[in-house]
Amino acid sequence: MDAQSIITAAKLIGAGLAMIGAMGGGIGIGLSAHGAVQGIARNPDVAGQIQTNMILGIAFAEAVAIYCLVVALLILFVIK
Amino acid sequence: MADPTNAAGKKSNKWKEIGLPLGIAAALSALGWYFFPPVMPHVQLPAENLTHHPLISLPMPIGDIYLTNTLVATLLIDVVLIALVIAVQKATKSGDLIPRGITGVFEALLEALYNLTETTAGKWTKVIFPYFATFFLVVLVANWMELIPGVDSIGWLHEVEEGAHGAIAKGPFLLAGEGHYGVVPWVRVASTDLNFTIALALVSVVMTQVIGVRALGLPYFTKFFNIKAIFTVKPWWMGLIDFFVSVLESISEIAKVISFSFRLFGNIFAGSVMLFVLGYLVPILVQSAVLVLETFVGIVQALVFGMLTLMFMSLATHPHGGEHEEAHA
Repeated sequence: MDAQSIITAAKLIGAGLAMIGAMGGGIGIGLSAHGAVQGIARNPDVAGQIQTNMILGIAFAEAVAIYCLVVALLILFVIK
Repeated sequence: MADPTNAAGKKSNKWKEIGLPLGIAAALSALGWYFFPPVMPHVQLPAENLTHHPLISLPMPIGDIYLTNTLVATLLIDVVLIALVIAVQKATKSGDLIPRGITGVFEALLEALYNLTETTAGKWTKVIFPYFATFFLVVLVANWMELIPGVDSIGWLHEVEEGAHGAIAKGPFLLAGEGHYGVVPWVRVASTDLNFTIALALVSVVMTQVIGVRALGLPYFTKFFNIKAIFTVKPWWMGLIDFFVSVLESISEIAKVISFSFRLFGNIFAGSVMLFVLGYLVPILVQSAVLVLETFVGIVQALVFGMLTLMFMSLATHPHGGEHEEAHA
């Protein structure tokens, strides 16, 4: 096994490990959707406002997962 | 007795209506798969240069500026938006009060956006709305350019460097196989270039400060360097905490640029990589489903970019100091 294939293997493993962080984003998005659906079920009149805030919250939670994705992409495609 | 058969007949008709185009599409893509097997996509993060010579050479910190394929896409966005503006302006100037076609779409869209701005921004609606709507439209057009066939796949054929994965070139086509050729697309989605997203994020964050100063005057900056609190707030350590909170606030202002730009970039770049990789792995029909998903992701990201700008800008116009008052306002 030459050095290049070891480096490639390490890159792939590293990119996979980096994506573990997406778990946090998933949990966050699930929680915010959970809260929003409960709120809408209790008070359907404010569904529009709740949806707006939910999308904002999801965007914040998702940003963390996207950082992981960017790190994984950097590891895969930029680092030689 | 006639009713159930009728309903069943309708049902089978419906299935014919859906099934026939689906079957034709599957057959066509299977034919395409047979004659032009998909080429393994080559993923590249930085935008490719289309010309060998730089457009402009600037002194060292900036360096040479090349015509990249994302720059072409950015210019195309401008062209599309300006064409839309001219079309809508023509329709409104003609004196016809009933919006038709593209004007009607724009009236409905901008009215929804304006109402959204009004509920958040209050009396600053007229200042903040242009930024919100412009960011929304620019990012939307940039993201949806991904859905046009040929974007990301039509371009110059070039020889790849040693060791990289290439394909066979035959005439103007790139065919699957072991070869030395890759494609440099003429147009690549602008949001998959970090330069584009960071530029948008910088505009958003800098204009947030400008609007904050317009609303509150120079005291706006006490949000970031609250040295006053150390001397005025009664127990001195509470003032110290206030000062550290203000320092954190200025750090989060810088983090905003990063989060804005990386969110848009990551979403759209991952989307286009997924489009091409799935198109390579399963060339029949699956890519169409991904295209639907990408349409949704494109509009959500545009809305999120615009809405976060709107939120930060309207937060900047509120006088700070009382978090609790803001919550009720």
